[in-house]
Amino acid sequence: MNVTTEKILLEFDPETKNLLPVLKKISARFGHVAKEDAQKIADYFSLPLSEVFETASFYDLVKTQKDPPLVIQVCSGANCAIKSANRVIREIENQLHIKAGDMFNPKVKLEIISCLGQCGSGPVVVVNGNVFARVAPNDVDDILRNYV
Amino acid sequence: METEIKIITQNWGRINPQSIDEYIAAGGYQALFKFIKEMDPEIAVEEIKTSGLCGRGGAGFPTGLKLESVQKEKVTEKYFICNLDESEPGTYKDRMIAENDPHMLIEGIIIASLIVGAKKAFIYINGNYKKSAEILERAVGQAKQKVFLGPAILHSRYGLEIEIFEGAGAYICGEETALINSIEGKRGEPRMRPPFPTQSGLFGKPTAVNNAETIANIPWIIENGGAEFAKVGSKKSPGTKLFILDGAVKNRDVVEAPLGITLKELIDNYGGGIYAGKEFWFAQVGGSSGRLALEKDLEMKLEYDREAKIPLGSGAILVVDKMADIHELLLSWASFFRRESCGKCVPCREGTFRLWEIAKRLRDGEISDRDKAAIEDILWTLNNTTFCPLGKFAATAFGDALQYFPKEIYKLSK
Repeated sequence: MNVTTEKILLEFDPETKNLLPVLKKISARFGHVAKEDAQKIADYFSLPLSEVFETASFYDLVKTQKDPPLVIQVCSGANCAIKSANRVIREIENQLHIKAGDMFNPKVKLEIISCLGQCGSGPVVVVNGNVFARVAPNDVDDILRNYV
Repeated sequence: METEIKIITQNWGRINPQSIDEYIAAGGYQALFKFIKEMDPEIAVEEIKTSGLCGRGGAGFPTGLKLESVQKEKVTEKYFICNLDESEPGTYKDRMIAENDPHMLIEGIIIASLIVGAKKAFIYINGNYKKSAEILERAVGQAKQKVFLGPAILHSRYGLEIEIFEGAGAYICGEETALINSIEGKRGEPRMRPPFPTQSGLFGKPTAVNNAETIANIPWIIENGGAEFAKVGSKKSPGTKLFILDGAVKNRDVVEAPLGITLKELIDNYGGGIYAGKEFWFAQVGGSSGRLALEKDLEMKLEYDREAKIPLGSGAILVVDKMADIHELLLSWASFFRRESCGKCVPCREGTFRLWEIAKRLRDGEISDRDKAAIEDILWTLNNTTFCPLGKFAATAFGDALQYFPKEIYKLSK
């Protein structure tokens, strides 16, 4: 079945408490909340477009811009940091010739993220949604091989 | 250790968390029966006040007082919110509660909601906790089937509906007014207080927001009585606490220990001591927003106490050994708070950004005299002028580290 923005909207009542769940769902389904979709959401909830974007742009799990095909996220919380998370980040940067935090690379994004609550098994690396635990700099090559 | 009392973790690993029948067989939902058959909300709130239970999210506010102030509000529409937006680095105790014993949490939510007079409760769960949210969703379904939830709980005059609301990845939403904004579909920025959420919270109605671990204590208190609970642990803040041990300890895990335990006892008896070959340097207590405890602080009692030199916070204990690179930690703290500053107020938005820039220069050995002078200024501003406590959090560990380890921190600088 073809999932459209309209179909997703109709799963929810147009109450403000459903705005964030709708934004998350549309962002997850289409990769981001496009301007046209934001307008449809605004109409459905009877809100100004600015308010929809105000909320959408605030949350990490709602994207207002489409991500490149490869997204690598590394937790750098203190618990991961003392387990060499930063060496893992540098290893990824070197192997892929990218910089953490570069938003404009069309192929890959390396993102430093906050705690995922998996501190017992850090450092934690997430590649396109797949979680890798206890990652050492030596493991980076093996992990990336499946994606590059 | 065997004889020590377990409240939150009593069922962990013993029952199937996805089976309501196993929870009931282990004595679960007895507190709900007792509340409905024998107690009034006014009596129940007195029990909780007697117990001395205080908020386990970090602030340590007395739970009984919070519930009572919502209970006293004379409107029919009220809300109860379980705060499971756990995002403090190094903290995953609430996730463990949801995954190991979801029904204990749900029983606590039901009782607490009925105490304050809410007919609708939300569980606001961290958006990254997908698995935990599914477990809770299933548990809520099972509770409905047993008529522990619904329009007439156990065919009494009480009704309650629980909705699970998944967050969207914002640390600040653990702050109760930001959390409320987030459910209302707004940016998760904190609100000005007063009015407090207990008077005007979700959709402008009286709302009690409580941390998941706090709520999980409530069934035990209702069943055994507040006086019994008050005998456990420390006098200042009775009960047990989940501690999350990580870093240079042998046993990196979530453990339940009585409050009032010393940091040394916790590390030795529950953490299995310091990892072989490592040497204790300091411990960070309460996650990335927590203070640093040095060797001389090891005999300090861990309890909720407004006067405490080192507040307990969320209960996360990160033990750092002498091999650790302090610059990586400074950068980790600073980059975390820069990312998570919501941007509402300038001192925090700019202060966390500048601190992060300086942390990068410190790591790279490029710190200048001008930076050194600026650090004090930035830390003071974060400590004293931000809208919500996030600014203070950003300055806490950074400031402690600068005060305790200036030699190690500045050794690379020109």
